[in-house]
Amino acid sequence: MVTLANRVSRWTLPAFALALVNFLLAEALILAGLTWPARSVSAPGTLAAVHLLVIGWLLLLMLGALFQFVPVITARALASQRLALLTLLAIEAGLAAMVGGFLAIGRHPALALALPAGGTAVLLGVLLAIFNLGVPLFGARPLALPGRMVLSGLAFLLVTVALGLSFALAFTVPPLAPYLAVLLYAVGDHALAGLGGWFTLTAMGVSYKLLPMFMLAPEERGVAGECVHVLGAGGFALAVGAGLARVWVAAEALRVAQDSGYMAIAIAVMIYLWDIVRIYRTRKRALIEAHNRAAAGAFGFLGLAAALAIGFAATHRLGAGAPLIIFLVVFGWLGGLGLTQLYKIIPFLTWLTRYGSNLGRGAVPRVQDLVRERRSYPWFALYFLGVLLGAACVLAGHAGGLRPSLALVTLATVGLLIEYWRAWRGHYAHGRRDASAPPSFVSNQRG
Amino acid sequence: MSTPAALNREFVLDALHEVIDPELGYNIVDLGLIYGLDVDSGVIKVTMTMTTPGCPAQDYILSGVYERGISLPGVRDVTIDVVWEPAWSPQKMTPLAKAHFGIQD
Ligand code: HEM
Repeated sequence: MVTLANRVSRWTLPAFALALVNFLLAEALILAGLTWPARSVSAPGTLAAVHLLVIGWLLLLMLGALFQFVPVITARALASQRLALLTLLAIEAGLAAMVGGFLAIGRHPALALALPAGGTAVLLGVLLAIFNLGVPLFGARPLALPGRMVLSGLAFLLVTVALGLSFALAFTVPPLAPYLAVLLYAVGDHALAGLGGWFTLTAMGVSYKLLPMFMLAPEERGVAGECVHVLGAGGFALAVGAGLARVWVAAEALRVAQDSGYMAIAIAVMIYLWDIVRIYRTRKRALIEAHNRAAAGAFGFLGLAAALAIGFAATHRLGAGAPLIIFLVVFGWLGGLGLTQLYKIIPFLTWLTRYGSNLGRGAVPRVQDLVRERRSYPWFALYFLGVLLGAACVLAGHAGGLRPSLALVTLATVGLLIEYWRAWRGHYAHGRRDASAPPSFVSNQRG
Repeated sequence: MSTPAALNREFVLDALHEVIDPELGYNIVDLGLIYGLDVDSGVIKVTMTMTTPGCPAQDYILSGVYERGISLPGVRDVTIDVVWEPAWSPQKMTPLAKAHFGIQD
């Protein structure tokens, strides 16, 4: 009668699983002492771990989420589910080659060619994803704010990957080095376009839909939302664009433009955080669920990272402070938001794939029945505590304290992974049934 | 109550209480998602909405309404019309559901 499952993104849960594995691998590299701060910021181990984090964990996480999210906000299907799978495969294979390539730089020149080869595969995966998501997004114009923010984010993703690939070619293909090596001055712009223009703008756009939806708050963000988008996208474009131009042209005007871009970004982040508080305050659903309670930690880290960045910039130490800002953004803001939202999205997708078709035919658990929220709180707390401790150590000049702090973060990640796994396996939902208590049967909810 | 003679609007609405919105974890009737319901010679006609357009659970909820309806004695068919106007808002919940979610009028 009604065709089922065409609204569920097939490759989203596998993308999340892969992303989490990459996250654990990166944490293992850091704990093993192969990265900053034990090694230099540009050490091969650091670059490998950074890209395991930003491509393996955050990019796969975000694309997996968008494959489900974009059809929700556009009410249109992806161009193709199969292309989504190809994206995952191209990115994961490309990443594996990139990691190998990073570790081979300076040791095995031939093997280091895996870096640009892997980067090309990542670029291919990203292009496929942009097409796949672009079809429903373009079909649904005029887009509401979340959709427009995702589109802006995707443009920055393309810039990021293209820059990264240019670096890789400069490092590993000597004939190209004379033309491309100068771009290496723009490594900060590569990081800003990726972590800011792409991840942060997109996460903001997604949160603008999901937070009101789950908390029953007004979705219309009005002038504030528009300001966040325009100042954010404009600020990142100005900062990255002027930063890139400064590689070739040493004009004072470009420095001013770059600083104006930073300023616009800082203002956008402040308005966004204020608006997020407004969403929590104007929610209609009295109870805040665990994923959104814990998300407050991620929003806090976004604010902290922005405040520190402003402080570093004001004292002309942005370069020296960059590793700390990157750490806070990757682990605190983006990673924190990812881990907390997964605690909702995984049970929801599990419900759709495993229980949805029983609706109307018998007992069906609620999404909430698939998790045990109070079990998640200690892990979320430990995660954010670990990130905070690590940041405090670096800030206080005891960079050595970062690794022990990361051990807490890793432990918390494993704890949360077990909770996600339990949600997927129906551990708590089945537990109830076995206990022969009524499995929160739908008719309980009646008057 | 299981004879076709009892097949009326109230009986069907009562049965539809067993279909939930999985995310909110509450039945679709008290959430106010059912905008209209007619029963005519064994055919149930439902006009309803979703809490948000594009909701991934939509097809499952529709299928749930269909399955619950068609399983009632004397029902020959269930037709469902999904509408987006007027848009759903938490204000459409029954007092019972509002109390459950802690929503003030
Ligand atoms: C979402 C995508 C990406 C993000 C967010 C990202 C982020 C970053 C960050 C934060 C750094 C600075 C790390 C440090 O200094 O320790 C960096 C450096 C670098 N990235 Fe990426 N990256 C991305 C994709 C890529 C891709 C696809 C390549 C292609 C192979 C690439 C190649 C590089 C290289 C070669 C460096 C080192 C440049 C240098 O040290 O001079 N990146 N990236």
